[in-house]
Order: sequence, then structure tokens, then C-alpha cells
Amino acid sequence: MAADELMPTHKSHRNPKSGPTMKKKSENDKKKRGVPDNKQQNPRAFSFTSADKAKILKLHAAEKEQKRIHLPTIDRNYGDPPPFVVVVQGPPGVGKSLVIKSLVKHFTHQNVPEVRGPITIVQGKKNRIQFVECPNDINGMVDCAKVADLAILLIDGSYGFEMETFEFLNIMQVHGFPKVMGVLTHLDKFNDVKKLRKTKKRLKQRFSTEIYKGAKLFYLSGLIHGKYSKLEVDHLSQFISLSLIKFHPLKWRTSHPYVLADRMEDVTPPEKIQMDKKCDRNVTLYGYLRGCNLKKGTKVHIAGVGDYSLAGVTALPDPCPLPSAAKKKGLRDREKLFYAPMSGIGDLLYDKDAVYININDHLVQYSKNDDEIGDPTNKGKGRDVGEDLVKSLQNTKYSVDEKLGKTFINLFGKNIISTSSERKLEEESSESGDDEAEDCVMDVESSDGETKQKNEIHGGLLRRKAIFKDEGGESDAAMGSDQDDVEGEEDVESDGDESEDGEDDSASDSQELDEDDVEEAGDRVLGNISKWKEPLKEKGTKKNLNLMQIVYGASGSSATTEENDDEDFFKPKGEQNKNLGGAMNVGYVNADDCSRFINYGNLKNWKEKEDCEIIRNRFTTGDWSEAALRNQNSVPGDEGGDFEDLEAENVESGTNQNEDSEAVERRHQKLALRAEFDANNPTYSEAKELGYVDKLKEELETRKQMNMLELNDLDEDTRIEVEGFRTGTYLRLEIHNVPCEMVEFFDPCHPVLVGGIGYGEDNVGYMQARLKKHRWHKKVLKTRDPIIVSIGWRRYQTVPVYAIEDRNDRHRMLKYTPEHMHCLATFWGPLVPPNTGFVAFQNLSSNQAGFRITATSVVLEYNHQAHIAKKIKLVGHPCKIKKKTAFIKDMFTSDLEIARFEGSSVRTVSGIRGQVKKAGKNMLDDNAQEGIARCTFEDQIKMSDIVFLKAWPTVEVPQFYNPLTTALQPRERTWTGMRTFWELRRQHNIPIPVNKDSLYKPIERKIKKFNPLVISKKLQEELPFTSKPKNKPGRKRPSLDVRRAVVMEPGERKALAIVQQLKLMNKVKMIKRKAKEQEKRKEYEAEKAKKEAVFKKRNREERRERYRTEDKQKNKKMRRNQD
Amino acid sequence: MGKTTYKRLKGSQSFRQRLLLSTLSSTPIIIDEIRADDMIPGLLRHEMSLLRLFDTVSDDCVVEVNETGTRLKYKPGIIMGGKNLVHNCALTRSMGYYLEPLLLLGLFGKKPLSIRLRGVTDDPKDPSVDTFRNASLHILKRFGVPSEGLDLKIEARGVAPEGGGEVLLTVPNVQTLTAVQWVEEGMVKRIRGWTFSARVSSDFEHSMRFAARGIFNNLLPDVHIFNDHKSGPQAGKSPGYGITLVAETIEGCYISADTTVSCGRTDETGEVDEEKQERKPAEDTGVEIASWLLQEIEKGGVVDSTHQGLLFILCALCQQDVSKVRVGPLSPYGVETLRNLKEFLGVTFSFRPDPSTATVVLTCVGSGLVNLSRKLS
Repeated sequence: MAADELMPTHKSHRNPKSGPTMKKKSENDKKKRGVPDNKQQNPRAFSFTSADKAKILKLHAAEKEQKRIHLPTIDRNYGDPPPFVVVVQGPPGVGKSLVIKSLVKHFTHQNVPEVRGPITIVQGKKNRIQFVECPNDINGMVDCAKVADLAILLIDGSYGFEMETFEFLNIMQVHGFPKVMGVLTHLDKFNDVKKLRKTKKRLKQRFSTEIYKGAKLFYLSGLIHGKYSKLEVDHLSQFISLSLIKFHPLKWRTSHPYVLADRMEDVTPPEKIQMDKKCDRNVTLYGYLRGCNLKKGTKVHIAGVGDYSLAGVTALPDPCPLPSAAKKKGLRDREKLFYAPMSGIGDLLYDKDAVYININDHLVQYSKNDDEIGDPTNKGKGRDVGEDLVKSLQNTKYSVDEKLGKTFINLFGKNIISTSSERKLEEESSESGDDEAEDCVMDVESSDGETKQKNEIHGGLLRRKAIFKDEGGESDAAMGSDQDDVEGEEDVESDGDESEDGEDDSASDSQELDEDDVEEAGDRVLGNISKWKEPLKEKGTKKNLNLMQIVYGASGSSATTEENDDEDFFKPKGEQNKNLGGAMNVGYVNADDCSRFINYGNLKNWKEKEDCEIIRNRFTTGDWSEAALRNQNSVPGDEGGDFEDLEAENVESGTNQNEDSEAVERRHQKLALRAEFDANNPTYSEAKELGYVDKLKEELETRKQMNMLELNDLDEDTRIEVEGFRTGTYLRLEIHNVPCEMVEFFDPCHPVLVGGIGYGEDNVGYMQARLKKHRWHKKVLKTRDPIIVSIGWRRYQTVPVYAIEDRNDRHRMLKYTPEHMHCLATFWGPLVPPNTGFVAFQNLSSNQAGFRITATSVVLEYNHQAHIAKKIKLVGHPCKIKKKTAFIKDMFTSDLEIARFEGSSVRTVSGIRGQVKKAGKNMLDDNAQEGIARCTFEDQIKMSDIVFLKAWPTVEVPQFYNPLTTALQPRERTWTGMRTFWELRRQHNIPIPVNKDSLYKPIERKIKKFNPLVISKKLQEELPFTSKPKNKPGRKRPSLDVRRAVVMEPGERKALAIVQQLKLMNKVKMIKRKAKEQEKRKEYEAEKAKKEAVFKKRNREERRERYRTEDKQKNKKMRRNQD
Repeated sequence: MGKTTYKRLKGSQSFRQRLLLSTLSSTPIIIDEIRADDMIPGLLRHEMSLLRLFDTVSDDCVVEVNETGTRLKYKPGIIMGGKNLVHNCALTRSMGYYLEPLLLLGLFGKKPLSIRLRGVTDDPKDPSVDTFRNASLHILKRFGVPSEGLDLKIEARGVAPEGGGEVLLTVPNVQTLTAVQWVEEGMVKRIRGWTFSARVSSDFEHSMRFAARGIFNNLLPDVHIFNDHKSGPQAGKSPGYGITLVAETIEGCYISADTTVSCGRTDETGEVDEEKQERKPAEDTGVEIASWLLQEIEKGGVVDSTHQGLLFILCALCQQDVSKVRVGPLSPYGVETLRNLKEFLGVTFSFRPDPSTATVVLTCVGSGLVNLSRKLS
């Protein structure tokens, strides 16, 4: 204040009232307010001139509009979305880890000492981000490109673009292009501001041409205390969160489930490892499910390892949950969660049946006193057991590192109840507690899922309470159904089910009423194990039979051959028999395969009027209003009455439902209702005149709402059974019998990608792809040279055969790929659906300078065989000619070969066509050599003719594919598989084989010497006199004609003189002109030489410059490699 | 991956569906103990014929049967489809037996399927070709199968035991099937019927029609039964007659009932007399089928009990959206289908019995099967 007073008062700003500034400002103001500027420079410029032109313009506009439109796709992610994967990629030494560290620090205020593996953070109220650092080798880049939702490409500004960036871009383009953002780093190395600005501009231009116009490029100007400046990181983070809002779904990813594992544990029994160090391991992988829903029994491919079937899938509580959807702005500090188990910084590790809390050494000392303060809320009476256990654990001396953590699973896994500290974990721990008990009592396999068991426990508790209500409901239902139940056994069956259902419903109702009680009970249960075992046992004996269990049986499939499984299989079928009443031999393994189920025996007599009355309303002649009632009753969610029911079930299924989700539910319902209304009243909806795409979009939206409505209708257990695990759930995947190398060479810096395999994608076959050699790859590709392809989730080496389609649909083999054209490539490997892109490499090593991507391609179709033909031309010469028949030698080597070609057409150089008949051995003399074919021609051929046979034999595509097992070897080692011809030749020092006949030689043509023409005497005699050769003797004196002198007339002489003079004149003229021309040429040449000299000089300078920079780069790279 | 892992199954039950689902999901299967303890062990003639049919339609499939025929190894190939295919069906089962899997197989082929089947067109055990034409194909259309190119042409009738019938089936290709919400049965608006007689007097047809119409008279006026008397080569090799009734509702559901009576001689002379004695008058057959149709209508559901299997498979093959259908009491074949679907495609249905109408509403999420063999143009 004091300072303000001391300061002299400034003049207030006055807006200019006139002058150019005022004009400019007022114009700007008008523009801002959207006032149209009526004054046009040239009013005629945009007026209507030509109808044709207008038509063309309109067409063009329409075409543009259509190009803009994408076919809408349905989004089948119904729950919370999984964290977005942000891949940070760049050449080595560009500062990838630092960017991640800065961003994590910005989002969560946590310091990450080391970036290893994915780091999950809660970024906003609805967003989570998983940062992944892309490793520098090409395998890691490929895997990262397959999972990235957003790729941040780091570029060393002081150095410029490097190959890695472009390689990564190309890989991403093939595997579905995610969002891309470029970041320039190392900008503090520029001293010259102008140069910096120029470089920025240049790089930005290059970047935007490579991706799309206006692609974002950020600048991180430099380090301050070893960190990027806060402001710049803030900007970057803002753009990251902005660009994560909207995605175009990628087809491969939306149709395949995948998990980017952020944690891996080896769960092999330690005895087994002790016995044999190289034994196959069992591992568990943890991560968020992405892509589409994962059903149990799906096969998966672990990138770099191989195909495995999942031994167990369990949904775990989210280790990094989104904050509750309370109405508030921003995130609280405690909600800014952070999960990075591989980096070893998250304090919590979630396992299927336990939560491990990582307590630092110095905290262990205090924890004895601490645990009272630890959780005041969860203080019940019966927590003694858990406390004791925890305390006993603390008494033992152990260091909390991961290795020991692993042994805990085996040693104490059954006993620990992790209720010790951490308020947040209440719910999770209760679940885990349940699960342990289930393990103790029932010894159920892990794959069956913990949630199911939990539910049953709930059911068990409920059942006791619901008994009295239950009876009422059941009798009600029975009463209602008794009336129409005359004699049909099927009816009885369904009635039974219905009563079951009623029971369930009432149960759920009751649960809704006293849910609090249940929760309390659950809490109590937690403390005392023995108490809550009881209902479980009870549950185990009493089974709740519903239609689902009747149909599918209590457990398992019929496909396994194990005896005990079969027993399981038979049991429900027996029940089924009983229930369906006369369902004959369903359980019988050799039952008749007949879709019809008829026993005419119990047909009603439909001639009777009263029998007909029962189904009267099922006909249009009946009562329409009553018929409508029938349908309405049956469609749940049609009436207001059903709505309550729905809610109740929701409460049952989800534990943490609140008003917000209910509102969402209500909205969905409204939407669905509206859609139904629209569908019923087509006139109403048509009035809006929607375009095709809009209609399609609306249709998809209704479909989505319907799906959500139906699925939310089911209870959690059934839902997982019906649709699989939803995307966004945190899963624990158990995989058995992986090679020990996977554990041994596990490197957390490399992403572990687990991708689901669709139907038929584990089969192998031929695939045909449209392939183009990458324009930056220097050489063309050779047929049958192995290439490494990254296709779908897989990477493997295969041997392609290149071909091109001829006009007559023939696929002609090519020895090499065309240089700037697409060609077809056929190769053998695990099948992928058509329209899947792939990228090919020849060499994966990181220390080659060139561009490693050799080709990009898209799969067109797959087939069981490849129809590729190559052209061969057999050449032969006639050895004997008999009129139109000729014997051709040198074309075939044996008579057997001729037999193969019987009937095929041949032709001579001059175009005389013919046909191969048979081996001509018997028609020639006895000692003729084998392989002489008898051919007939349309005309007689000559001995000097050459005979060709053109044929198209099919080419076999080698059945070879070799999966890349890069995860089973040290990551820094380059994977080597089959080598190319070139590599083999180089290693073995074998020269390229040369066919001498194929070499070009100078053509030597002998001059033909013709004999003098001899005319026979007889012919001479017959010739007319004029044509006869006349034998005249030679004359000594020339004839008179020659000798005579010519004397010219005076007129003639004159004319001749003039002609001579003219000729002379002309000659002199020509000489002059020639001299002039020569002079001119000389001048021109001199000038040209001068120019050339200048050009040459400049060129040399340029080259020198280039060489110098190249040399510099090379040195730099070498130095870096040495580092 | 190098070795193919086979799914192991037992017994001859639901043989068709197992082959079909194995082909669609490209899962190789081994079936053991096929009628191992029976008097006639191993695969029967129609089953072998079905395997041949699969071999015709698909390429590169491997079928191995052991000597006794009790063990089958089947490795599915790529479904090719194609034109001008011909298959001679074994006469032990009628065309319905082959058509049921073939319809679905054709949808997911590389090229549209057009196949000529020869054999028995109608018998009482399997749905008749008329039923296929007039009910089953309509169910397919519901799932987004284009109606052009989907046709069944009956070129000649053939009744057991000699057969001699011929049908031409054309099935278009689809990329995917769309999920349905099909819970409203609607009211029956019309009933159509088809009778045929081959190598017997057309009087049989008339009496059947008359009797059937008599049943419906109480309920619906819009009943029309067409007759189709065949003679000469179009009538096949054995005498017989049959009736198919289809009720169409205002919601586009088709409920069918059919039967066939074969008047032919069988090889064993002993059976002939018995059959002749047991054979009912044609009027009774008409009444029976009409009553059966009404029974099916009474049971409710959007399809009849015969088509439950087809409906469930179609639902399971849809895109990954929720399908919801209502059926009457589950038939044993339907239950078997549900189990097989879980086995091969991992599709589980959830059930919601509707007590007021004694029907069941089934909900499932489709497996998202895509026709992969189609060529990208």
C-alpha cells in the first residue's frame, strides 16, 4: 500500500477516437462480433457464371464431404476405460526417461528414481495414464507401437531427426496410427538464436509432412537443475490430456483383447526350480485389460515368447482406481495415485489373494506402536488374529524386497490377512479374505474366479434371512401358474424355474433392504475366520439350481478327457433329464442327432372350443389388448414398475454404486426408450431427414445402450460368464509352462505384451499380401529371402514369394520386388484376418545405419494353397523333319518328361505353331538318345528353326515360419534366424553364380558369301533372247557412242555458262557461311566451358561440405555407440 | 503352435453341430467312442456323407476315421463355398439333416455357396425342405443375411427309402451377423401350408388339407394350404406324401410343423406289413400336424422348438453385441446346442424365465465371429 501511494499516478488509457489505429481496431472488433463485411473487392468474382462449373463445384463439394465421413464404429467399452498408454519414444540419449519423470512429477508430485516398466497414474477425474518408455531396439519399438494410444516422439533438436523416429512412425502407421506428438529436446545446445529458430521451423515442417499438416511439435528448451522447466512440462501435460479425449478406434485392437503387463511374478513351486533350474515356469502377469472383453479360455500370444492358453484369469481390484465421482473440481492430493510395480516404487502390490504392503526398513521399527494409529475406522472386536499374524510377521527379521515377497506367497499366502493398515484397502482386503477361506474349504482352482465365490457367500448369508419371504413368493408363483398348467410337462418344468427365479428376486430385494447389515456382517466375518466358514460349508452342500446351471452344469466342459471331469459332466445332465421330463437321452453320449423333439402322444384335442380359447389371443382374431399385455410383461424395462427391480439388482451386483451411476442408468434407459419410440413411429423419426451416416450412428448408439442395459441387468457373476472380463479391469493372468528364459532374461524396461488370439488365428496357412518395398530401403527384396514380419501381435520370420497379377488373373512369380510398385507376397505363417497390416524387416540389429524397415504391407486373404506360377521357356532344335512333323531334340531330357508335356503347344521363332505329340524314339533309329519329342506343326519347319515351349509351372511357397523369441534371450543380443542369400554368400565367401549363357556378348555376324549365280544350260535355252546371257567378245576400241564429239548451240552454251556461274556463286556463299558458323560455335563452346567450370567448382564444394558433415555424423554415432 | 492341439470329444451326439462349430471356430477335434458299444459301431452312413459334404464345401480339411469308425479326427479347412457343387446325401437321413449345418457354413464361406443336394427331401425325423424354405431362411434374414441369393429350390421330391429328390441351395456370404433383440412373438396373422405327394394319389393331399383346415377354422380365417403333386422324375423314387404348416406372426416370427409319410417298401420284408398296418389315414396326419402347430404356438417363443438350435447358434455367431431372444420351453436339442456353443465358442447364455407366458428369454453376447476367408478387394 505504502509503495502504491509513493508511486506517481498514471494517466488512464484513452481509446483512440480517430486515425488509422482506431480504424483497424474497429474493423477487428467487427470481425470478432461476426458482423459481415459487406464491402467486397470484386463483387463479380463470386457471382454465378456457368451452370457446368457450378455443377462441378457442387460435385466436388459433395465428394469432399463424403471423404470426410468415416463409417461409425460401435464402442463396446462399457465400464471405466483402461488407462491410456502414452509411449515415449526417441533415439538413445534424447531424454525419454526424464520426460516421463517430469510428467509423473507434474501429475502426482512423486519422484521416480528410475523408469522401469509401465507407470500408471491418475491424471484426472476420469482419466488415467500409463507411461511406457519405448526401448531402443526394434522389437521393443514394434511392441510399443502396437499398444500405444498416444506416442510422444522425442527428437534431439540439436541433432535433427534420426532413423528411429521414422522407423517408429512407419511401424505405427502399419499397426493402426495412434495419436502422435513430437517433442524437441536439447534445444539449449544452440547458441545462435537465429539458427535455433531456423532449425525449429525446419524440423516442424519435416514433422508435419511426415504425419499430417499441423501435427503438434513441442519444444523443451532446456534443463534447469536436471529437470525440464515446469512451465513447459505443464504445457506438455495439458496437451497430453487434451489429445487423450477422443480416439478413433483401431480395428485390430477393438477386436482383440490385450494386456500390457505392468508386473510379472514367477509362481513356480520353488521345489521344482530347485530340482531343475531350467524347468518350465508358471508365471503370472498383471495388467489392465484393453481392446475388447476377454473371455475365459481365450488363447494368448505373449510377444517374443509364444502362444499359451491362459491357465487362470482373475479380476483384481484396481490398484490405481479413479476417484469417486463426487462433484468437485480437480483431484485431491490423495487421489493422485500412482502405480509402478516394476519400478519398485509403489508401496502396494496386489495379488489375487493378498495385498502386500511394502514398508521401508525404518518404518518396520515403528510399526508396532503404529498400528493402533494406523486405522481407527476399522477397529472391530475380533481383529486379533490378523493383528497377531502381522505382529508375528514383524517380529521375524526380513527385508522387504521383491524376492522375499515372492516367497511369502508360498509360505504365508494362506494365512495372512492383510487388514493391518491402509484404510483404502478395506474392501479389497475383505474380498481377499473371502477368497482365502474358499481356498481352505473347497480347494477350488484359481481360474474359477474369486468373485463367484464371494457372491455365493453373500448368497449364503442372504439365504438364511430370506427364507420366510421366500416361501411366500414361491407359493405365489405356483398359484399363478397352476391355472394354466394342464398337463404339459414342459410347463411344469418352466414353472419350477420360475419359482427359483422368484426366490432369487426376493432374495435380492431383501438384500437391498438391509445391505448395511450385510456389510456389517461382512466386516465381522473378516475378523473371525471360523465363523464365516460355516455358511460357506452350508453353501457347498446346498446348490442353488437355476436354469443356467441346469443347462451348463455346475462346472466344466465335456471336452476334457479326464475321468473326474466326465463325472461332473454327467451329473447335471441327469438332473436335466429329470427336469425336462421326457427329455429322453440328452445325457447319452451317443444320442441321436436330431433337431426335432416330437412326441405326438400328448397332443391336446384342438378341435375343442375351450382348448382353443387358451391360445385365442395368440391370433390376430383374438383380443389385441390382452396380447399386447403378454408382450409387455415379458419385456423387462418397458414399464416403470420394472425399473425398481433393475436398480435393486444393480445394488446387488455393484458394491460402490451411487447416485451418479443411477443417473447415468436413467439416462440410458431414457435413450433406449426414445429409440424404441422412434422405431415404433417411423413417421416421427423420418421427419428429421437424417443422413445415412447419422442414422447409422444413432443405430449404433441405441445398440450400445441396449447392450449396457441388458448387461447391467445381469449379476456380476453371470455377466463375466456371458461377456467376459470387461475392458479396464485389472487382471491377473496365470500362464503355465513358459520357458525359464522368459523369467531369467526378464527385463522390465521392455514391454510385455499379452494379446488375445481370435478364432482361427492360431492356425497356420498361406497368406497373400499386397506388399511394397519401403522407399527408403536401398535394395529390392529377393524372392525366398527370409524377412521378419510383425503382424497382428506376432513377430516371426518367414519366407515370402513375390508375385504380380497378370491380366488373365495369373499370379506370376517375380524374382525381385518392383522398385516403386506394389506386388503380391505370399508367405506361410499363423493366419490373421484380411486387412491386417504388417511391416517387414530384414535385420533387427541396432547398429546398422540404414533404414531397417524393408517393406510395408497389408494382408488380402488367406488360403490353404498358393497359386503362383512362373514362366519357363524350353528351347529345342529339330533333328529330323518329315513334312509337317518334326523331331525336336534338346527340349527334354527324358521320355518321361515328354510324357508330362504331351499335347502342350510349341512354336518356332517365325511363329509356326505346333503341338508336342509323343516321344519319338521308336520312329527314329534304335540308338537315338532319349528326350527326342515328335511334334507336329501347321507348316513345315526348317532345320535352322528354333522351337520354343512356354509353360507356367506352379511355384511352391516354402512352409517356413520361425517365431521371434526375443524375450527368451538377453535383450541386447540381436536375434538371428534364417539368413538371406546375400548374408550366406558373404559369410561363406561364395561368389554369385553366373550363367555364362546369360551374359551379354558382342554379336558377331559373319558376312555371308554367296556363290555366283549359276543358270543351267537347259534353262538358258528356254529363256527369251533378251533374258539370255549373251557372250559378247570384249572391244578394243570404245564404241562410237563414246567417241563422238558434242558441239553446243550458242544458246545452249550461254545457258551452261550461266549455270556454272550460279554454282560457283553458291559454292562461295556456302564456304562463307560455314566459316561463320564455325566461329559462332567456337564462341558458344567457350562460354559453355566457362559455365561448366563454374558449376563443377560449386559442385565440388558442395560435395566436400556433405562429406564433411557425413564424416562428422559418423564419428558422432561411433562415439555414441562406444558410450 | 507347430503341433495342432485337438479338442477331445466323446460319442456321436450332436455330431453336426460339433463339426459345424469346429469348422467355424477352426478348432480341430477328435471324437472318440462313437457308438463303441452299439450293435452297429462307428459312424453311420449319413454321418460319413455329412463329412463328405464338409469336405466338398471346404478346402484343405483333414478327416481321419479309424477302421471301425469309432474314432474321428477332423481338422477343419477353409470354407470355400462356390458354384455348381453337387452332393449325394446318404439316404438314411433326409435333407434337413444336411441343410441345418450347411446353411450356416455357407454364410461364412469365401464365395457364395450354390450346391445341389440329392437324396431324401422329406422324412418325419428332420425338418422338411418346405420348412427350410418357408421358416428357417426367414430366421436367417433376421440376422442380417441378405435375402438375395438366399434360396432353396426344390427340383424333385424324394421320400425315404429310395430318395431321388433334388434341391438347390444358394447361400450368400456375410461379413458378420448382426445381433437381434427378438422377444416379441406377436400374434399369428396367417397360416400357410404346403402338402406334397409323390408317386401316390393326390387324394392324400386333399384329405390332409381338409383335416388341417378344420382345426384352424376356430381360430383364424387366413389359412391357405398349397398342394404340390409330383409325378414322373420329379417325384423321386419312392411313394409318399407330407405336409408342412407355417404360422406367421405380425412380428415376423415363423412357427412351423411338418411331417412326411412314406408309403415305400423297405428292404426287410417283415417291416413292410407292420408299417402298412400302422399307417394312419391321411386325415389323421393332417390333424396331428395342425395340432402340433397349435401346440408350438401355445408354447410361445419366436421360433418353434425345432429351430431353437439354429437360433441359438445364430445368436452366438453375432457381433459382440447383446442378443436377446425368447423361446418356449428349451428342447433337448436346444440345450445340447447351448452346451456346444459354450464348448466351442465360449458363448454363455443367461436365462430369464418368464413365468406369465411360460417362456424363457435368453441373452447372450455374440462371439464376434468374422468371415475371415473372404477376400479383401
